Amino acid sequence: MDAVEAPYAVPPGWSYNPSSWGQRLPIVGLALVGFGIATYLALYQWRVFGSVWEPFFGEGSRVILNSSVSRVLPLPDAALGAFGYLLDAATGVVGGRARWRTMPWIVIIFGLAVGPLGAVSILLVIFQPVLFDAWCTLCLASAIVSLIMIGPAMDELLAALQVLKRARRDRRSTWRAFWGLEDHQLPPVTAQARHRPGRWHHTENVAGFAED
Amino acid sequence: MWAQLLSAILGVWLMAAPAVLGYGGIAAAVDRSIGPLAAGFACVAIWGATRGVRWLNLPLGIALLVIPWGFGYPSIATANSLAAGLLLGALAFVRGTVAERFGGGWSSLFGSGTPNHEAADG
Repeated sequence: MDAVEAPYAVPPGWSYNPSSWGQRLPIVGLALVGFGIATYLALYQWRVFGSVWEPFFGEGSRVILNSSVSRVLPLPDAALGAFGYLLDAATGVVGGRARWRTMPWIVIIFGLAVGPLGAVSILLVIFQPVLFDAWCTLCLASAIVSLIMIGPAMDELLAALQVLKRARRDRRSTWRAFWGLEDHQLPPVTAQARHRPGRWHHTENVAGFAED
Repeated sequence: MWAQLLSAILGVWLMAAPAVLGYGGIAAAVDRSIGPLAAGFACVAIWGATRGVRWLNLPLGIALLVIPWGFGYPSIATANSLAAGLLLGALAFVRGTVAERFGGGWSSLFGSGTPNHEAADG
């Protein structure tokens, strides 16, 4: 957790801020690793590379990466995976340190991008031995990366959904809350704010205090 | 958290078991399907905010206990399935410690009671 956390960057009832860079950057890093692996595999599937690295399972990677399942869609499956990882990284980076509250929409897109990518990974890992009797080392590595990302991403999604829940409970517009247009956790100019003018002089700016 | 790590290792073991113990057929297909699911759920459940996902490994454990009896498993596969199922199901009950607070968690999104995350709302 950031040492200089703005007070209203921690969701109510939480012990930490799920949108802090310390929370998000590791996920973005994992997404970029996944993007690298998937891009390499996609380039093999497009025959930019003539062979693929496979240290453990002999012909396994070639069998898997040329299987019928990998060509079900117009694009090779690794290319779709690479796009998914890129979407994860991009939606992980956008927004400030209070984005669960100031930009719930991007947090929700982020959660929706990370979750299903991991689910599809599990499915593909099952297909490898059951349908094709082969294993693909880098495909497994990619699956591990996508699975490790899910847990750390879901806490931020929870905080964003709680913002919408509060809006609905108070009969405010969940639509406006979704886009971060109504920020009901902005503090009024409090005694605390007056004592710390350097941190709070942008109170009218929705995200201002989160960006210092 | 150790329970989730153990469950993840158990899932990976199920993926490797057919090759290591030398069995195939339906037993291998079942273990190679349940293994990635168990490892995946455990992997997500390692984190505090999604610790509840560990319960998804309970039905998988029960499946490992039940399926061997109907499909003519070789005895080594049956023994492995029963041991893994028992362990996986038991580990689902182990919540472990969650140091962080999440404003009432996922259940706070449902129902009409005052959720924890609202109590602190200004």
